[in-house]
Amino acid sequence: MSESLPGFLQIPGGAQIPAANDDGRNVDLQTGALSGEGAGQKPPGSRQDVGLQSQIFPHVPSHQPCETPTYYGTPVLKQPVWHWPIAAYFYVGGVAGMSATLGSATQLFGGREMRSVVIKTRWIATTGALVSTGILVQDLGRPERFLNMLRVFKLTSPMSMGSWILSAFSSAAAAATVLPYGPRVFRSLAGIFGAIAGLLGLPLAAYTGVLIVQTAVPVWKNPLWSVLALCSSTAAAGSLLELLPLNAKESRTVEVFSLAGKIGEIVTANAIEKDAARIDRVARPFHRGFSGLLWQSAKVLLVSSAVIAIAPGRSPKKRIAAGLVGTAASVCMRFAYFLAGKRSARDPRATFEQQRQTPAITAGQI
Amino acid sequence: MAEAHPVGFQWVMEAKRRGATVIHVDPRFSRTSAMADLFVPLRAGTDIVFLGALISYVIENERYFRDYVVSYTNAPVILRDDYRDTEDLDGLFSGWQEEKGQYEGPTWRYESTEHKGEDSQQTPESHAERSAQMAGPKVKAHDTDFTLQHPRCVFQVLKRHFARYTPQMVEEACGISQEQFHKVAKHLCHNSGRERTTAFCYAVGWTQHSAGAQFIRAAAILQLLLGNIGRPGGGVMALRGHATIQGSTDIPTLFNLLPGYLPMPKAGTDKSLAEYLENYTARSGWWTEFPKYMISLLKAWFGDAATQNNDYCFDYLPKITGDHSHMTTVVNMADGDLDGYLVMGQNPVVGSPNAGLQRKGLRNLKWLVVRDFYLVETAEFWKDSPEHERGEVSAETIGTEVFFFPASTHVEKDGSFTQTQRVAQWHHEAIAPPADCRSELHFAYHLGKRLKELYANSSDPKDRPIQDLAWEYPVHDARDEPSAEAVLAEVNGYTVADRKPVDGYLKLKDDGSTACGCWIYSGIYAGGVNHAAKKNRATDHYGYGPEWGFAWPSNRHILYNRAAADPQGRPWSERKALVWWDEVKKEWTGYDTPDFMKTVPPDYRAAEDSQGTQTISGDDPFILHPDGKGWLFAPAGLQDGPMPTHYEPFESPVHNPLYGQQCNPVRLEYDRSDNQMAKPIADPRFPYVITTYRLTEHHTTGGMSRWLSWLAELQPGMFCEISPELAREKQLRNGDWAVVSTPRAEIETRVLVTERMRPIKLGRRTVHQIGMPYHWGNRGLVTGDSTNELLAFGADPNSTIQESKALIGDIRPGRRDHSKAITKEATNAPEEELRDLPIARHRPIGKHHVHAPSSKQGDQT
Amino acid sequence: MANGFFTDTTVCIGCKACEVACKQWNQLPDDGYHFTGMSFDNTMHLGASTWRHVSFIERPVALNGSDTGFSWLMASDVCKHCARAGCLENCPTGAIMRTEFGSVYVQQDVCNGCGYCVSGCPFGVIDRNHDDGRAWKCTLCYDRQKDGLEPACAKACPTDSIQFGDVEELKERARKRVETLHEKGVKEAYLYGGDAASQPGTGGLNAFFLLVDKPEVYNLPPDPEVPTMRANQSWKSAGLAAIGVAALALVSALVGRTARG
Ligand SMILES: Nc1nc2c(c(=O)[nH]1)N[C@H]1C(S)=C(S)[C@@H](COP(=O)(O)OP(=O)(O)OC[C@H]3O[C@@H](n4cnc5c(=O)[nH]c(N)nc54)[C@H](O)[C@@H]3O)O[C@H]1N2
Ligand SMILES: Nc1nc2c(c(=O)[nH]1)N[C@H]1C(S)=C(S)[C@@H](COP(=O)(O)OP(=O)(O)OC[C@H]3O[C@@H](n4cnc5c(=O)[nH]c(N)nc54)[C@H](O)[C@@H]3O)O[C@H]1N2
Ligand code: SF4
Ligand code: SF4
Ligand code: SF4
Ligand code: SF4
Ligand code: SF4
Ligand SMILES: [Mo]
Repeated sequence: MSESLPGFLQIPGGAQIPAANDDGRNVDLQTGALSGEGAGQKPPGSRQDVGLQSQIFPHVPSHQPCETPTYYGTPVLKQPVWHWPIAAYFYVGGVAGMSATLGSATQLFGGREMRSVVIKTRWIATTGALVSTGILVQDLGRPERFLNMLRVFKLTSPMSMGSWILSAFSSAAAAATVLPYGPRVFRSLAGIFGAIAGLLGLPLAAYTGVLIVQTAVPVWKNPLWSVLALCSSTAAAGSLLELLPLNAKESRTVEVFSLAGKIGEIVTANAIEKDAARIDRVARPFHRGFSGLLWQSAKVLLVSSAVIAIAPGRSPKKRIAAGLVGTAASVCMRFAYFLAGKRSARDPRATFEQQRQTPAITAGQI
Repeated sequence: MAEAHPVGFQWVMEAKRRGATVIHVDPRFSRTSAMADLFVPLRAGTDIVFLGALISYVIENERYFRDYVVSYTNAPVILRDDYRDTEDLDGLFSGWQEEKGQYEGPTWRYESTEHKGEDSQQTPESHAERSAQMAGPKVKAHDTDFTLQHPRCVFQVLKRHFARYTPQMVEEACGISQEQFHKVAKHLCHNSGRERTTAFCYAVGWTQHSAGAQFIRAAAILQLLLGNIGRPGGGVMALRGHATIQGSTDIPTLFNLLPGYLPMPKAGTDKSLAEYLENYTARSGWWTEFPKYMISLLKAWFGDAATQNNDYCFDYLPKITGDHSHMTTVVNMADGDLDGYLVMGQNPVVGSPNAGLQRKGLRNLKWLVVRDFYLVETAEFWKDSPEHERGEVSAETIGTEVFFFPASTHVEKDGSFTQTQRVAQWHHEAIAPPADCRSELHFAYHLGKRLKELYANSSDPKDRPIQDLAWEYPVHDARDEPSAEAVLAEVNGYTVADRKPVDGYLKLKDDGSTACGCWIYSGIYAGGVNHAAKKNRATDHYGYGPEWGFAWPSNRHILYNRAAADPQGRPWSERKALVWWDEVKKEWTGYDTPDFMKTVPPDYRAAEDSQGTQTISGDDPFILHPDGKGWLFAPAGLQDGPMPTHYEPFESPVHNPLYGQQCNPVRLEYDRSDNQMAKPIADPRFPYVITTYRLTEHHTTGGMSRWLSWLAELQPGMFCEISPELAREKQLRNGDWAVVSTPRAEIETRVLVTERMRPIKLGRRTVHQIGMPYHWGNRGLVTGDSTNELLAFGADPNSTIQESKALIGDIRPGRRDHSKAITKEATNAPEEELRDLPIARHRPIGKHHVHAPSSKQGDQT
Repeated sequence: MANGFFTDTTVCIGCKACEVACKQWNQLPDDGYHFTGMSFDNTMHLGASTWRHVSFIERPVALNGSDTGFSWLMASDVCKHCARAGCLENCPTGAIMRTEFGSVYVQQDVCNGCGYCVSGCPFGVIDRNHDDGRAWKCTLCYDRQKDGLEPACAKACPTDSIQFGDVEELKERARKRVETLHEKGVKEAYLYGGDAASQPGTGGLNAFFLLVDKPEVYNLPPDPEVPTMRANQSWKSAGLAAIGVAALALVSALVGRTARG
């Protein structure tokens, strides 16, 4: 359709008109310089006329399509910018944290026969920590950007806290994992690091919950999300361990741990959904779209894996079955509420109606 | 005004903040309406009915400012008994010449005022000429009736003329409810008189009609009746167009004017300087000074070569042979009568009506010069146009040689802008133009230089004008940029002997001892100081800012401000004091430069034998008029009547509700196959009214906005505005594509369905209006069909401004077939349906009979 | 002392000079050419490269005290530079800071593109540039203020709809303006974010607005709340849950130990 002008427009006779560089900034670099506050920003690709192709509001502007007003139905919030790996991180980080916790608990009270599961938990914790860091770096684009996270220690920012926790956790877990293979003098330290990792595992599993609670996203505003994160991590860690070869004592420990986690997860999930249900628009993501599908399946899977666990019999097969279903459940759960958040942020009426119907609950706190 | 003059509109908001009532009269609800206290939607093209009814209301209810009207207007003057009104002749005035298609004869004159020259109504090119026609002794006492009772006095004639312009008529013609009408009338009257004043602001919503000049006249009459002229907060204000469009009418780009509104000499009647001066020098009023301005102008242009014995080179001036206005020039182009065309800072392919005919004209040229920032549509008509799309023409088949000159922008050159209020403001070169971009001044100056070189050793007398042209201006920097200030000095004028700048036009002489490029600007360089460059914010009583720039004439901010004082020279009221007679100092003084002879007392009376400016009495505020009065009735100067009369646009959905005469009888109509017209009345193919306008986000044809992404993204594409009702009728949803058609063409556009567009109720009948911005074309960052493909050539006879604010058309859902020819089938209305019922007016203009009354192509505002 | 904006939407003529002046001064790219059909608004919302945005609202009812039978509300939106700024409090890197002018400013050399500020803003103002992922928003013309100049948008506004200055003074002026409007019959006029009392969730806005209809109409949240306000609660519940889970871990370990092998 329209052509964007070349940097130079050749005219017979050699005359030249410098045309504004066509990156949409209208700055002729012959005469001007890019020095404004926004100059560092990379402009969107081509400046071509998009031919008015965007979605068009199909109603008469002064006829509001619905009783409660919105601005042409456009979102009031910017949806969370994170991509799916972050949902994966919620899962992996949780698993790492909680297996460390269970590991150190077993290390302290489990006694000699449970040595092997402790080792397993440490390995899971360490690998999980590494994978988590990998995901975060991937999301930020460049490794040095992750270091920026440790530039300050900021109590008001769960993400800042989380970064510190993750770093400390990874170091502790790693130490606990490798020291046993090191010189004799260090071996005894492994226990201590194991314990530290066990303690840090708790906040590591919990903070991703706090992280989403501390956003403007309507469906994420419930403080219980941090509890869900923790329970889901417990269930996830348990379910994963259930898949590994375990002796009788170990599997008992793991089964109890995992089952309790699953129950806790179902209870909190229902509590959250029930609370959201007070405002239809806020609850929608639990019922509609892909997020709805995942959420409902997560609940079904949770229940079924719990049922399997409770069912009589002690065969490893049954344990593994419970483990598989449980793992699927946790993964579904994480993606479910991750996507629910995005969907919720896109719906202006969720924000408007929530704020209209629950007057600044927490007004004045902190 | 908020849309197209946002920066000026801040003062309307300021006035509103101080309690002013803002009324907006417009076919559509715009940003301006959003800020108004009262919004009055009307059918496009019917303002004269509305204003006429207000005039009638003011008279009937005796709300006019009697003292002002009696002493400062021509209301008491008695007219000839052979004058006939449109009321008597069903829409025509006396003096109509059927075969010539124009008005002639003396019947519009004042009784007993002797007129010189042939008694024709032929339109004066200029103010000077108009006054010349009105010359002769001042209206004698016995020709006036100060009781305003005489049946033939202007007041009574005016009263009868507008008697049928009633609120009912307004409802029927404009679609404005009587209740709304009365609201406006009350606000208007309540805010006029001794203590209060009302201002009218208009722009092209009033001018772009086949009776545009009369729209403005109607407002002027109303303001005179209410005593709102020459007083603070009053006036009829033209909101001008391009940054210095005012300047370009003062020092004109018009074919029929010389600088300072001096008429261009005409072939035949103005053979010698003596003849010319005789023809245009008034016998009374300020234009008695005419020779001083003309001779000083000739001295400025031809310098030493201009002497008394050679008529100051008067013969060198070209003489016009008729109408050389824009549209007439283009049809002549289309008919192959023109070789070359210079387009400097214009984009007629998008900006002028009937773009197809415009392009046809360009295709028939030998050469075309375009000076612009970008390769606008006009510069690229040869490679891309609807005709190309349809395969009717191709670059190979077009013979026109196109030269493109890159222009420098206003920040890349020195110069001045004269704005709406006649204030000239200087701008300095902030940065050198890039590459080969140059200023207009550079182009014109060096072109002149080269021509002079080419003709230097010619002995052919016809080359003398070029040889004798005074063309010496200092140049600076590597570009040889001429000094704009030197030009300003010439415009200001100087004494030839010592080349010292004169202080003002009072110093100009008719003996060749002074030179002046434009008398009204004289004083702008007084004392060798560039007064236009003054930027002193220091303000005065009314905040006119006397130290900011230079307001011509003589830094006057309100013209005719003598009218702000009563006949005895005392302010009408303290609250509205502006200029008054100081008894002690024996001179005129006040908050603005008095627009009057400083020491002529209010009680001075001109004698029968007075000469020159002495013919102006102490109570004649309108000094440029030979009778010194404001004209409720214009005894000369207009082609289509001494008083405004409502005529329907060329193309209208309804019969003229007031007269049998449907359209302006002297309108300029271009009756050509390449300018198809709909039936004059209610053409069933085109049931809707179309009006066109601007958006804040774009500038006119887009040369300065469609190439700038920050503006382009704000209004990225062509759209039209229609009401939900019309949308329903046509099954159009907001944002859909639609095709709008007229006999000239059809274009595709998005539709914006909005309640801001309202169906107009005319009695039982509903008329839908389609609003269309006209900013798009096929080049630039954002493109779209041009609204002007739809419009027709056809214009107001006084100004030759095209009728682009009211026409008719159709709309249908969908997109246009880019390969299909524009609606060629649409032929002129069959013969039995004359274009103009019941009185047919054909004024074929085009090849070889350019006999349209010569008239000026003004800027649109 | 803090500087900010009082945006009086009742005198906004929708000329968009502010939007363009901002892009020009900050050398921001356009956002592409989209016809939206949303009245005269074709840029739709604030974003990484649009730091001022003028919204257009058509209403079938006239404003009280005016006789136009219809109303067309125009409002120029911008970052609110909240007293309690969600973006700032969420930012993990300290890239977002409170300047000496009381404004909320993103240091581009520190921002690592984590995007947490985006979810932290209850007004949907700040956004990430799709290309390098850093977050951008109005700087309250930090660079101009440094040179003693008023922000470009305020400078460009012909009708003084955008008024820049000391927030306390602006609030005073704003209250007076609301009074006069009420006297003139424009009963619906009120201040949005004018103070902590009327908007506890943000502690008031340094860039506040005079509106004449529900905030939602202008795409503003009716009762915004800085997310940090829920941090305590969630950390608390997380803490309790953690204790539970820790206990659970010990219990399960013991259970396992006592289990017969
Ligand atoms: N942003 C911007 N500003 C500009 C320009 C621009 O292109 N863009 N152009 C400049 C130029 S060159 C000019 S001449 C001026 C023009 O300034 P305006 O005259 O204000 O411009 P328009 O929008 O063409 O017309 C004004 C209004 O006239 C209304 N109108 C149409 N028909 C009628 C009628 O019959 N009666 C009445 N009462 N109103 C009618 C239209 O609906 C429109 O709202 O603006 C100047 N300023
Ligand atoms: N349908 C319809 N048609 C209309 C109107 C309408 O209301 N409705 N309005 C009419 C009116 S009022 C007008 S004024 C015309 C305007 O119509 P035009 O005058 O033909 O269009 P503009 O875009 O104003 O042309 C100005 C051009 O000059 C260039 N330019 C700017 N500055 C300079 C300079 O310093 N030097 C040079 N050499 N070039 C420069 C710009 O890039 C631009 O391309 O349109 C008229 N046409
Ligand atoms: S563009 Fe220039 S002339 Fe037109 S409103 Fe703005 S400042 Fe005035
Ligand atoms: S409006 Fe949003 S972006 Fe601006 S300061 Fe407040 S929270 Fe931050
Ligand atoms: S994206 Fe940049 S500014 Fe936003 S929170 Fe992350 S680091 Fe801070
Ligand atoms: S303050 Fe500066 S950065 Fe912010 S919106 Fe205004 S112009 Fe843009
Ligand atoms: S510049 Fe002022 S008037 Fe124009 S849109 Fe922006 S806020 Fe409104
Ligand atoms: Mo114009």
